[in-house]
Parts: sequence; structure tokens; C-alpha cells
Amino acid sequence: MDKFFNPESIAVVGASNTPFNLAATICGITTYMKYSGNVYAVNRKGEAVHGCPGYTTVMDIPGNVDLAVILISAKQVPTVVRQCGEKGIKHLIIESAGFSEGGPDGQSMQEEINGYISRYGMRLMGPNCLGILNTHNRFCCFYGIIPGKYDTGFATTGSISYIIQSGGIGALILDSFQKDMVTVSKMASIGNKSDIDESDIIDYYNGDASTEVIGMYLENVQNGRKLMNTAMKVKKPLLAFKVGRTSEGSQAAASHTAGMANNDAVFECACRQSGIIRLKSISELHSLPKIFASMPLLRGRRIAVMTNSGAFGGIAADLIVESGMEMTRLSPETQAKLDKTGQLFNVKNPVDLGPAMAKQTFLDIFDILLSAEEVDGLLPVPNVWQDVVIEAILDLVEMCRKYGKPAAIYVPNAIDRILQIREKYRIPLFESLEEATRALAVSYQQFRFLKKKERFHERNIRKGDFEKTESPVGV
Amino acid sequence: MKEILEKAISKKQKALSEYESKLVLAEAGVPVTREKLARTREEAVRFADEIGYPVAMKGCSHLLTHKTESGVIHLNLDSPEEVEGAFEAIEKAAGQIDGVLVQEMVKGNREFVIGLTRDPQFGPCVMFGLGGIFTEVLKDVSFRIAPLTEEDAEEMLEEIRSKELLDEFRGSPAVDRDMLVKALIGIGDLGERYDEIAEIDVNPLIVSGSRIVAVDALVILHQ
Repeated sequence: MDKFFNPESIAVVGASNTPFNLAATICGITTYMKYSGNVYAVNRKGEAVHGCPGYTTVMDIPGNVDLAVILISAKQVPTVVRQCGEKGIKHLIIESAGFSEGGPDGQSMQEEINGYISRYGMRLMGPNCLGILNTHNRFCCFYGIIPGKYDTGFATTGSISYIIQSGGIGALILDSFQKDMVTVSKMASIGNKSDIDESDIIDYYNGDASTEVIGMYLENVQNGRKLMNTAMKVKKPLLAFKVGRTSEGSQAAASHTAGMANNDAVFECACRQSGIIRLKSISELHSLPKIFASMPLLRGRRIAVMTNSGAFGGIAADLIVESGMEMTRLSPETQAKLDKTGQLFNVKNPVDLGPAMAKQTFLDIFDILLSAEEVDGLLPVPNVWQDVVIEAILDLVEMCRKYGKPAAIYVPNAIDRILQIREKYRIPLFESLEEATRALAVSYQQFRFLKKKERFHERNIRKGDFEKTESPVGV
Repeated sequence: MKEILEKAISKKQKALSEYESKLVLAEAGVPVTREKLARTREEAVRFADEIGYPVAMKGCSHLLTHKTESGVIHLNLDSPEEVEGAFEAIEKAAGQIDGVLVQEMVKGNREFVIGLTRDPQFGPCVMFGLGGIFTEVLKDVSFRIAPLTEEDAEEMLEEIRSKELLDEFRGSPAVDRDMLVKALIGIGDLGERYDEIAEIDVNPLIVSGSRIVAVDALVILHQ
């Protein structure tokens, strides 16, 4: 699987100098990004494309080819796949569409391709996909990427890896990260999943040292059991957004149970059962990973809110309770310590420090709250009305690591200002109070999932059931 | 259990009768009503005496999947005369039946549902929820994919909105959760072990004291 993400030599089948040739954009982006591997163009004339040497077939390319990226009309694909097999190319990405989704003709071509895949022992990503982006080695075989358009997304290396069934979602994620403090490590667009599916990629990301969080956008799940078994082995946070709330199943059902078990309800329980965090919206795919990448996990439900505006304390309290967490009751000792700082309007939770101006006051309060036994995590809501607040938040991030407790920070300022501060100071700021609360909730969910996976693993060891399970592999 | 399923399939049944369904469920760890299948009026009276009054009587056949609508259910029968009357009424209302089921009347004001379905991608799924006649309207149910761990089953109980009904309720004791957990795991194992079973409905599962009892049950077979 690694050769899909780190190929040393690549054939782009279909890239030519004809105007509007889509495959040529793949040669264009690999050249623009100065990818270190050898990239070859395969076209009828054998002409070079964007500086990539050209050949008329993959068979003519001298030496070993790790990966073939195929973007030609569907009816030509089976022949090319066979040639790749003969050449000894083990990894294929078919970006062309028109197979299993394209009626009986497409279906029969798909079957022909499947035959070659198993005969030559190849692995196939797609068809109908974009393939791979890897920010760490600057490899990208997405078609249609215009050089210069996503430079920020490609320039920085990140720790969040994605599995997507839509190019549009990939573009949205890359765009959104331009103003964030985390970004993409790898992205795999897997299309029709005729061979490689989401579980195979999860498995790869699980063993990948530069992936800390895994995000998925799924349109369907073909092998649910495989997904669940894979997810149970993964310790890294696994976030999934899935579309498709169908009631087709319920129409054919004879029993009441089947009538209520629609696709969505079953996917929901599969997530809960196998430790996948189910996302509520597309934007959560890029807004939530930073709580995992920059903060320790939330190990309990008890949250302390800290604000310099009383209103936000009340709003935050409502959201916390609605998300299944608790507003912690600060102990008399903690309240006495807070009182000693001499600045506070309210020493009970939510803690209101009013118009405090000294950085040390902020730090003292953060320290008192984070060190308190009765606090599992913080929801700080300080308005940035002075630059000193930013300095205090920067220190807070460090203190969270020291105490092993997370803070989901929201500053009640205009969105432009939030984005500007987040980008400039690289602080994990959330864009709304709802988003920050949700981040704490998913952090706690991940903590509970890890416990559950550990228990599951221990139970299987006790049963001597080694085949069925593997130890969750650590980050 | 295997024999019941094989026999039904060889007879091209689409479902098991209530009596057969409960034999399968009881073996899987789901507590069911005390009941006997009477072929004659005399047998019905004798069984009612054994089980103790009042009893319920139901026409029993794999073809009767919607009994309430067919007029083949008679409840709260208090005497041999009522049992005889009910037997005749059921014979008249129902077409071809295997016999008349004489069963204990289970008293309880809390009704739950448990069931099994198969998802094309995830395989057998177990359902737990609020039962009775409003099940489909309230849709207060939770699912887990089989096989279930004890932890999975316990989580299912916590996920329904009406979970407080499992606690002490209007003078009745809390529901025996271990019994419920065992029943849910058992239903999941049925789905795992027997491909012949397509779907299962146990509704209502009545809480009597702290015990749960399957009062009606339907096992649907694969064609």
C-alpha cells in the first residue's frame, strides 16, 4: 500500500498535449510541486508532457514503474490494465469514470479489469476517483489541480489524513485548512472501491507515523464487518461523515424490526460499536481534528468554563449540559484559590474574571482550574479585547499538555479576527461556542472508545482468541 | 432448534408459528410465556387447568403473522367454559391452523420489543426498544450489530429515550437487566448461527415483576 503514497516512478496514462487534456494536469502538478520521483506520460504520440518523458505504452517505459495513474476513456482501460500487469506494475489508480456506475457495458469492463487485477496480483484504487495527495513527499495525482491554486495547502505538512469519496469534499478541506493551525498529511480519494476500500486505507494510516487523526467522507459502505473489525484495531481518532439516509430497505421488510433498521440507524450503531466518531456535518471534518492534534484527550465529563463576559458563561453552560457533559462544581479550596487572585467577579463555575488586564491573572486562573481534581477539561471563552489575552492563550496550550487536560478555546470575536489570530499564532481556536463544545464532546467520546477497545482486546486475549483481534496499534 | 428450522423450510414456510418461534427463542435465552398447543377443546381445558387461570388463547399457524387483525386472540379467560367458547370461536375465525395456543396471562404495565434484522453491509443487527402497539410510531429503539458483547447490550438499554422505564416504576421493581442483556446477546447469536433466520420480532416483551417474558414472537425465514 505504501507505494500508492510514496511511488518512486509513476506512469500517467492518458497525459498528452491536446488542449483540455485532464491527465496532463497530473503531469503539470507533479512537475510544479517538484516531486522527486520519475514521472512518465503515456500517450498515442509518445510525446513529453510538462517535462515528463513520453511513451506510447507503459511497456516501453524503461525500468521499474511503481504506480500507473490511468485517465483515459473507459473502453480503453481494460487493455491498459493488462499491459500494466505484463509490465509488472503492482499499483494502479483508475481515475476514469464509466464502470460499475455506468450500466451493463461498464459493469462488464469492470469485471474484465478485476480479472487482470487478480491474475497479475495488482492492487487497484478507484475507478472514478482522484487518487492520492501526500503533503510530506509532495506527491499529488489529483487531476484538474491548477498550479498555484492550492499552494498553501500543499506547502505545509500536516498530521490529519483523509479518505474521501468525493473530490469536491477534498477541495473544501484543503481550502478550509488554509486558515487553520493543522493541515492535511495525506488524502486518498477511493471512488468506486472495486478493490481498495476505506478499511484498507484506515489500516495504512494506522501504521503511518505522520498521521495522527483519520477523517472519512463516505457515500456507501460495502463491507461493513471489515470496517468494524479494522476500526476496533485503530487507536488514532477515526472521524466519519456519511451521506445517504435511505428508506429502501424498510419498504421490502416483513418485520417491524427490519422496518425501523434503516441504513442510517445501522451505520450509527456500527460507529458506536467499533469506535468511529460520527460527524454531524461536513465542516466537522476540518474543524474538529485540531482538538486531537493539539490537546490531550478529555478523560472525564466535568468541564470548567472561564470567561471575561458573563453572558458567554451561561450560553456555554447550556451547551455543555446539552452535549452530555457536566458543569463541574468547584471545591471550596479551588474557590478560595481563585478568590485570592483578587480579580474575579465570580469564583463559581462559570468563572468570570471580568475586565482583567494582567497576563499573570489569566495564567493563575488557568493553573488553578487545570490543577483542580474536579476539573477534567476547560472551555475558555475570553474576548480578545487586549493582546495580552492572546499571550495568555498561547501559554494555556502549553499548560494543557503539562496537566494532561484539554481546553477547547473560543474567543467571542468576529470570525475574521478569530481566523487571523489562529493563523498568525497557530492556536487551536474554534469558530463558534457550539464547535468548541462539540470538540470537547468528541474528545471525551474518543477517550471512552479507547477504553472500550482496550477492554475488547483484553477479553479476546483471555479467551485466547488471537485470530479475531490484534492489539490496537499505538500512535 | 436446527430441526424446527429445517422442518419449516422443507415445508416452504415463510415464517415460524408463534409456538415454534418461542421454542427457538427460549433455547436462545429469551424467557417466554408458559404455553401449550391444544388440538381439541378438551385438551385446551386441560392445559388451562395446568397453566392456571386466567389464560390467553391464540390461533396458531405460521400463516398467522398478524393475529390481532384476524380475530384469533382471546384474552383473560377465567373458566373452562370460557376456554371452550374461545376454542370454538378461534376455529371458526381462523382457516387452517396447527392448533390453539393456551398460554399464561402475563400481567405488567411495561412493554418492550426486541428483534433481529439483516443489513446487507453489516449483517445481523439486534434491536431493543419501547414495545407495544405504539412501537412504530414512537420509534424509540437502539441497534447493535451481532455478535454482541455484554457491554454492547448494556449500552443498548441506555440508548433509548424511555430508559427510565427499566428502573423502578409505579410500585414495580426495576427490570432484571442481566436477563435482558442475556436475551439480546442470545438473539444476536441466533442471527450469527442460523442463516435460515431472516428477521425476528419479539413484541411485546412484557415486564412482570422484575422478569421479562416474551408474550408474542415471530421468526421470519429466508426464502
